[in-house]
Amino acid sequence: MVDDAESGDGIVESQRAIDPRLLAILVCPVTKHPLRYDPVRQELISKAARLAYPVRDGVPILTSEAARALDDPPHQV
Amino acid sequence: MSQPPGSDTASFGFRDVPKEQRQGLVNEVFSSVAERYDLMNDLMSGGLHRLWKGDLIAWLAPPKGERPFRLLDVAGGTGDVAIRYARRSGDGATAVICDISPEMLEVGQRKVNDAGLATRIELVEGNAEALPFADRSFDAYTIAFGIRNVTNIDRALAEAFRVLKTGGRFMCLEFSEVQVPILDRIYDFHSFEVIPRLGKLAAGAAEPYQYLVESIRKFPKQEAFATMIRDAGFERVTYRNLTGGVAAIHSGWKI
Repeated sequence: MVDDAESGDGIVESQRAIDPRLLAILVCPVTKHPLRYDPVRQELISKAARLAYPVRDGVPILTSEAARALDDPPHQV
Repeated sequence: MSQPPGSDTASFGFRDVPKEQRQGLVNEVFSSVAERYDLMNDLMSGGLHRLWKGDLIAWLAPPKGERPFRLLDVAGGTGDVAIRYARRSGDGATAVICDISPEMLEVGQRKVNDAGLATRIELVEGNAEALPFADRSFDAYTIAFGIRNVTNIDRALAEAFRVLKTGGRFMCLEFSEVQVPILDRIYDFHSFEVIPRLGKLAAGAAEPYQYLVESIRKFPKQEAFATMIRDAGFERVTYRNLTGGVAAIHSGWKI
């Protein structure tokens, strides 16, 4: 039922979006503050911890080990 | 009690390792067995884990109708508990699986999709000791054969308490202490002689199974674990032995 769009050129065409009901209860595991979802970069942003957590195939990866530091000033895409 | 002096080390099976290294070692075990995890459980329990997981869901008794009910299944990587739960509950009952192992989650995601339950079961990669969920988000928390793989059990219990709603329920299914004479000896033989060999045959490696057997023996016994659950703030803590105590289900309420 989940169709993985496997295009020949290797570009992921349809990223599974995070369910809004799930998004509503997700928090940063470090600070427990809410997260902002960036659907373009497929990241969950913790402003308080200055960390970005990856989302892989719709599965949020919310461990401090997997997070990327937001050392550069936040830039809007 | 199970804490080594100084607390700088943690038990990895019967071996002590630096505490900060333990989770990584445990994760390696699960990444190496993820694809064969269900088979491994069958071998270790003689197929009984299926019945025990059924007992867990039966005791939890999720609502059958449309009433919203949200379960957090921690360390539920391969989806075994969440899928059973979803099949035995109404459409209002949803689950979030949280596991620290990406390999286990991959297996789980596939099984959830195959079962046609992707709309009711979500997956999140996270650590039981630092859950990525808001306070009071869940009606129930389950952890089946997961808590003994957590380095700081107290921290995991505190997190369980935090994410549960008032009136929410904690349930843990775990291998425990056999409390029936003779069965305990058979179980010892099975654990230390049979399982590692079967593991080697089935998965090509004995070590992961060795770890699993040893970690079972290191885990606190029924009463001691019940006390830990009470210390985390849960009330009306009870447990049921399964198959003479080979496994036990602990239950506690956040009141």
